[in-house]
Amino acid sequence: MSAVAMPSRRRAIAPRFTMTRELTLVAVTVGLTITVGLLNHDFVGAQNLRFMLLNSVVLSLVALGQTLVIAMRGIDLSVAPILGLAAMVCGLLAQTHGLSLAAALPLALCIGLVLGTINGVLVATMDIPPIVVTLGTYSLYSGLTFIYSDGTQVDAVSPTFAAFGNGHLLDVVPIPTPVVVLLVILALCWYVLRHTGFGRAVLAIGNNASAAYAAGLPVTWVRIRVYALSGMLAAFAGLMFLCYTGSATVTAGTGDHIELQSIAVSLIGGTAIAGGRGNLIGTVLGSLFLSVVLTALVFLHVPPIWYSAGEGLMILAAVQAGFGRRGARA
Amino acid sequence: MIQLSREPVAQALLGARGIAKRFGPVEVLRGIDLELRPGRILTLMGENGAGKSTMFRILAGQLQPSAGELTLNGESLRLASPHAAHAHGIHLVPQEPLLLPELTVAETMFLGRLPMTGAIFRHVDWKDVRRRAQAVLRMLDLDIDIDSCAKTLSLAQLQLVECAKALLHDCRIILFDEPTSPLTSHEVDNLFVIMRRLAADGCTLSFISHRTEEVLEISDDIAVLRDGRLVDSAERGSFDRARLLSTMVGRTLRDIPRRESSYVTEQTVLEVDGLASEPSFRRIGFQLRRGEILGLAGLVGAGRTEIAETIFGVRRPTAGSVRLAGETVTSKPCHDLIRKGLVYVPEDRARHGAVLSMTIAQNVTSGLLERVRQSAGLLSDADETRLGATAVRDFRVRCAGLDQPLRELSGGNQQKVVFSKWIATGPKVAILDEPTRGVDVGSKEEIYELIEAMARDGMAVLVISSETEELVRLCDRVLSLYEGELVAELTGDQINPAAVSASYLGSAHAEGAP
Amino acid sequence: MSVSPTVGATPGDDLTMAKRRRRLFSLGGWELSLLVLLIIVTTSFGLGVPGFFDNLSGFLAMTSNFLPFGIVALGLSLVIFTGGIDLSVGATASLAAVVAAQLWATMGLNIWVASLLGLAMGGLLGGINAAVIVLLRIEPLIATLATSFIYTSAAVAVAGDSPPSGFPDAFNNMGSGAMAWGSFQFPYQLLIFIPLAVLFWLLVTRSAFGRKLVTVGYNSEAARYSGIRVPRVLAAAYVISGMMAALAGLVLSAYYSAARADMGDVLLLTTIAMVVLGGVSIFGGEGRMGGVIVAVLLLGLLRQGMLIAGFSDMVTSMLTGAILIGSIAIRNIFSTRVGGFGKRLLALIRRPAIAGPDATRHDAP
Repeated sequence: MSAVAMPSRRRAIAPRFTMTRELTLVAVTVGLTITVGLLNHDFVGAQNLRFMLLNSVVLSLVALGQTLVIAMRGIDLSVAPILGLAAMVCGLLAQTHGLSLAAALPLALCIGLVLGTINGVLVATMDIPPIVVTLGTYSLYSGLTFIYSDGTQVDAVSPTFAAFGNGHLLDVVPIPTPVVVLLVILALCWYVLRHTGFGRAVLAIGNNASAAYAAGLPVTWVRIRVYALSGMLAAFAGLMFLCYTGSATVTAGTGDHIELQSIAVSLIGGTAIAGGRGNLIGTVLGSLFLSVVLTALVFLHVPPIWYSAGEGLMILAAVQAGFGRRGARA
Repeated sequence: MIQLSREPVAQALLGARGIAKRFGPVEVLRGIDLELRPGRILTLMGENGAGKSTMFRILAGQLQPSAGELTLNGESLRLASPHAAHAHGIHLVPQEPLLLPELTVAETMFLGRLPMTGAIFRHVDWKDVRRRAQAVLRMLDLDIDIDSCAKTLSLAQLQLVECAKALLHDCRIILFDEPTSPLTSHEVDNLFVIMRRLAADGCTLSFISHRTEEVLEISDDIAVLRDGRLVDSAERGSFDRARLLSTMVGRTLRDIPRRESSYVTEQTVLEVDGLASEPSFRRIGFQLRRGEILGLAGLVGAGRTEIAETIFGVRRPTAGSVRLAGETVTSKPCHDLIRKGLVYVPEDRARHGAVLSMTIAQNVTSGLLERVRQSAGLLSDADETRLGATAVRDFRVRCAGLDQPLRELSGGNQQKVVFSKWIATGPKVAILDEPTRGVDVGSKEEIYELIEAMARDGMAVLVISSETEELVRLCDRVLSLYEGELVAELTGDQINPAAVSASYLGSAHAEGAP
Repeated sequence: MSVSPTVGATPGDDLTMAKRRRRLFSLGGWELSLLVLLIIVTTSFGLGVPGFFDNLSGFLAMTSNFLPFGIVALGLSLVIFTGGIDLSVGATASLAAVVAAQLWATMGLNIWVASLLGLAMGGLLGGINAAVIVLLRIEPLIATLATSFIYTSAAVAVAGDSPPSGFPDAFNNMGSGAMAWGSFQFPYQLLIFIPLAVLFWLLVTRSAFGRKLVTVGYNSEAARYSGIRVPRVLAAAYVISGMMAALAGLVLSAYYSAARADMGDVLLLTTIAMVVLGGVSIFGGEGRMGGVIVAVLLLGLLRQGMLIAGFSDMVTSMLTGAILIGSIAIRNIFSTRVGGFGKRLLALIRRPAIAGPDATRHDAP
């Protein structure tokens, strides 16, 4: 295309409060739940609904960070080993030294902060493509987990951990604690992205980094902070994983390819892979959708081997549905 | 008159004294004196390459002058960066504003300067953002939804948003870098309404254009640049079309050597009939004969490159046909056309022409890989060396060796390599888009001789050029294009600098030129 | 304007000679540094670690442990040259190998015929990737992420409950055997890798296809304007990458004498590391095949040496990660192309534009 001719784009329509992607996801998720529920009533039983909800929390937490990174036109593959390392360190300390949950929380966040900042510094100041950086730190961080665990694994954490991971915050309301925590974190992240200077800078960088730089935004600093935040969320997800499953192995996170899953649900949720747009609510709904689909496959007696194919097809469908495509204007 | 600013109007008088700018050995500006006065619109006029944009970039702090000084209200002013310029209230509206496709219009206007509120939780004051954005758009009477995404706006709307942005940040000096060339006439009218309103409010405006009608319509003062010099500057009243054209072109008296021999034959090789690609151009028809050098003249944005791209098969025609050597090739893919003997040397080297990471030899052969001798599927080193060495010799490419990556060469030398790449394929028809852009004077003559040699060898050449002298020097025939339509055809003695420039600068009224 | 004095070489025989010399050793500074590093690593392990270099046969036998990675890296580098990525190489390797093994086990096909069909399967899977990328216009990263999930499922499904194993010795030899001349042994894997490496090296540096590949990766618009059929080149790159992954899968199943559905999983990260360490830009269009080949040997031997020296598998992969990041950081720091912060920033979002002021362009829009 020449520099001169530019067909006028269509007249603006306000996209501000349209939540098409969120509503679609909700509709599809609810529709799927009802359909499968008609075939098998256990699927819509309280037990299973709670299970599906809980099952999506860990992925949601990781994917929130991933969404922020992708919105800034980056990518973070190292979330999986960060999750694993945080789960392993907290779990082993709790198992052997009686680390309390109150102490485990700041510890996990510190781990995530440090590892995420390393990613951020390498990406922002060394001019290394994010995919290369986080690929490298992926091996580094999984190695740390391996060395730290030294062949042991966590299988017996104290009841406080399990209560946090499976209990209810208030006995009156039957909403599991992790879900409440997730909603609080979602609200925080949403607020940050929507209403703070930092959040707007993230989106501006994702839209056009040179324009953001020219406008005087602290691009390097924002980049570092986003990777740090992604690391912290992944580490917190690791702690949540530990509490929820009561165990941690050397392959926690990396074994399930949670890094790829988190990218997938971000895209399903409506975040553009080319950056500039992040949909946090969509991401959480996407994780829930994934959880419902995977559980539905179990209920429909689909052999487990096809679960990952289902994920693959979902990604293609989500991307084909209009999001995450190659940008028309590069 | 409307009151745009909340505070009393601060008047700003921006002056430039003796501004000069050199890029390496090339002087782009030589001793420019300008005065931008409040409440007035100063137009910088000049042909392509006269130095207008460079001047603007200096005024906006994007470039540092090599000599001379800027003044603001009589005091000396140093602009180290665009930020500094902005802090002094100088805002440059680029022709194609930087795009933040996913952000809303309101946020785009506040990029990097979002108002914050809240004592403990500092957060963006969206209410203020929307209120102020809304207010400034309303004041400019712009019908743009502040909540729409920037990617849904047209280029014209983005330019207007940039004006609004200038006002929003209390910039009283607004520079428009050639805003009108990509706009439709209706959009231009809109822009002019806004510009007049800003001037009436006491803003200092400056504007680049080379369309005479619109300059005479909008300006209060006119300054004409030519070859980096200020050749004329006065109030609009003392200008008329004739004076504008003659000062801009300025070469009426200069003698340009015309080609003596012509190699035109009777054999038509390229026939273009009723070709259109809306909205860029329409109703284009011409024939190109063996040995002919045909020039395509016109302003930037008149649709010349688009015509070339459509003939070359990389842009879809909306109507019309193209015949190459008697065969209809309309909208055939370009790899087919290249094989059939049509080549296009694009204007934008970095985007379309070359692979800067590859070596000179590799670039030369990249268009004719099929013709490099191969043994067992491998390209013959000797053959590639031969082609590369020929190109380097014929085009006097200044380089350290054939294995030097193209990136390390100067712009002119890069262009020579790209040019030679296509000529090496020995085409029937060559379309050359600004063949000497970024090429130094000495090499230009070499390239002209080469183009002549191509015609002598029976090639048909279509030259797109913004340099009148180039067209006069080279062409057997010149077609003039104005806003996507052919407006004149010049042959023989009609091809002189004044007539060529006038034919497209003055659009359909070319006869009125001196 | 003035004519700047003519500097530089005069065209002629000198140029031709210079060109020939450089072309024979198509190695730039980066490739040479890698080579030097490879020599340092090999000698220091050889001198310092008993068992690393006891005799040439033993040393060569070690390569069988990492050459499947190298085979994948060769194919993957073509894809990365085009500016794309293929995350499905691991799944492709598993699926192709499992399909071949099942053809042999359940349908009684000759193992070599089954292997050929496995290779074709790899090509087909690569073709699917290309179709998704070219026809549906989905980013390679996302497209191959999705197909890798699908291929993984298919591999597990085809493998069934008891993955085929116990292949004929002739086939197993391809993975773990060696040709013997007296006491000297030369592993078959190396026999496969060396011609492939030479082939790919020639393909990228000397063939028309390689030229097109790099042009597409550097600037697909420029490639189109040069008459290159971009979709075809992309399709070829992904098909070849799929076939190389399939070959690696077959070699792995010969190595283990079993075709497991998850054996390809380990391939992906290490092979990307090899390609990137080899100097191929992840944005495409730049790099040399020679660098990739040296990087395969460097990372592979480093890993083997550390394993022999008693480091755990994990520590060695950590080192791989550190080398990957460190090397690119060092290269960027010393690169002349990366200037001030602003330039770096631009480099992050698009590849650097033309260098040097280009005087008459400044007034052009």
